[in-house]
Amino acid sequence: MAAAAAATAAAKGNGGGGGRAGAGDASGTRKKKGPGPLATAYLVIYNVVMTAGWLVIAVGLVRAYLAKGSYHSLYYSIEKPLKFFQTGALLEVGIVPSSVVLTSFQVMSRVFLIWAVTHSVKEVQSEDSVLLFVIAWTITEIIRYSFYTFSLLNHLPYLIKWARYTLFIVLYPMGVSGELLTIYAALPFVRQAGLYSISLPNKYNFSFDYYAFLILIMISYIPIFPQLYFHMIHQRRKILSHTEEHKKFE
Amino acid sequence: MSLLIPEKISLSSASSSPGRCPFPTAEYPEVEILDAKTREKLCFLDKVEPHATIAEIKNLFTKTHPQWYPARQSLRLDPKGKSLKDEDVLQKLPVGTTATLYFRDLGAQISWVTVFLTEYAGPLFIYLLFYFRVPFIYGHKYDFTSSRHTVVHLACICHSFHYVKRLLETLFVHRFSHGTMPLRNIFKNCTYYWGFAAWMAYYINHPLYTPPTYGAQQVKLALAIFVICQLGNFSIHMALRDLRPAGSKTRKIPYPTKNPFTWLFLLVSCPNYTYEVGSWIGFAIMTQCLPVALFSLVGFTQMTIWAKGKHRSYLKEFRDYPPLRMPIIPFLL
Repeated sequence: MAAAAAATAAAKGNGGGGGRAGAGDASGTRKKKGPGPLATAYLVIYNVVMTAGWLVIAVGLVRAYLAKGSYHSLYYSIEKPLKFFQTGALLEVGIVPSSVVLTSFQVMSRVFLIWAVTHSVKEVQSEDSVLLFVIAWTITEIIRYSFYTFSLLNHLPYLIKWARYTLFIVLYPMGVSGELLTIYAALPFVRQAGLYSISLPNKYNFSFDYYAFLILIMISYIPIFPQLYFHMIHQRRKILSHTEEHKKFE
Repeated sequence: MSLLIPEKISLSSASSSPGRCPFPTAEYPEVEILDAKTREKLCFLDKVEPHATIAEIKNLFTKTHPQWYPARQSLRLDPKGKSLKDEDVLQKLPVGTTATLYFRDLGAQISWVTVFLTEYAGPLFIYLLFYFRVPFIYGHKYDFTSSRHTVVHLACICHSFHYVKRLLETLFVHRFSHGTMPLRNIFKNCTYYWGFAAWMAYYINHPLYTPPTYGAQQVKLALAIFVICQLGNFSIHMALRDLRPAGSKTRKIPYPTKNPFTWLFLLVSCPNYTYEVGSWIGFAIMTQCLPVALFSLVGFTQMTIWAKGKHRSYLKEFRDYPPLRMPIIPFLL
């Protein structure tokens, strides 16, 4: 869902992470006023750095796989850049033209998975489900940030646009599965350790059950994920068929 | 009723009520109503009284489209413009002899009174379920038991009093400028009020409830804050009511009266919200319950948004609005 929301936030306004391009892409005939030259420079730098960061993670995964000879427990080899670049995405909230609500929701859910689940519950770090969402996020983000970079420079290769609006079909469900399986794997350890939970009696007459909270989060995927997914499908039809009419951009 | 644009009756035809109207027929404005989104002609009204108000036009429109009762009609001069007010007079609007109005459906509406009564009755009832420890909330051995802490009984009295006061004010005090709001609001609002009431009540009435750290001193102080703010809030509601005659929608600048509680008007535009926040802070201190503090915080955030909006419209409407006043917190916010 963190994966889904990312693409959706982006598709909604062609913003959602890298700032909005000028008339450069075929989101329709509407021309959005582009950001000023200083803001554009900042956004380009931001998007290039983020693209590079996720490429580092991708390369890290491949190298670790080749070195180990297996795809298990690859998380440890990219843990630091993953935390750094995914948390860094918090900077997107506010500089993005598209809905602040959608962007912050997306970033918060990613950050939640990285820190409040994977980092906090050490026992799940060796789970294969972690690799599932890390791969989904890595591919999605590399494409997404390069999409923004090229859009800002008014030079968007059709391939990137196609990839952005097509690969999600597989990457979304993949990412969501990885996320859900990881949260599910964390549950017994959370229960056992009473992680992030507080029980009565206490001075402030308050209680919080992190285990129940995680279950609620998992349930929330049911209404939220289909909405995001079908929104992307709808966007895909709109944007890719529109480009067909206008021929390839180059 | 099928949509048929009524034949435009020729204004010069002798058959159109000769001798009845004092004005030559050519002077009667006509009104056409178009759908704001599709521009489809929905209705044509001829020979509308020049002094007709938008409210009357809405009533005429309902006759041809009974499913769109006046409360759910938004009529405007521009499809993307602001809604016209019910009191606006047709003649005074910048229209020619044929006025074109654009219609937008506001969706199903529900009266403010209904929403208020429902959203306030819930917490009153729900809190009592927890207070009496009705089965299936706490362990079975606690069913229908009573707390041994005085503050828990006091809290129930305060909470219940608060919502009874709100219900009575809704029925007898408040004068609403809008009759209705969108139907979906009742679900949103009730979820908020009922949800928080249940959450707070669960902890305050819990068998493992811990009374305030500073004991009776803390409770007495908090109770004083609560009572003062309840009286203050009520005083403001009465003062606002007296500003506006029954059935009218007049707006005037509120000023302090002889009642000392209303003197807060010197410093804030919406002292009713100030007192309301104060009441809940008092309740939070009294119960020393974090969920109550969170509820106060959320309420404060929402009331601040409303107060700022109200303050802004006061400033826009009245040139001589007292400059010292802040929206909700004296000197600060």
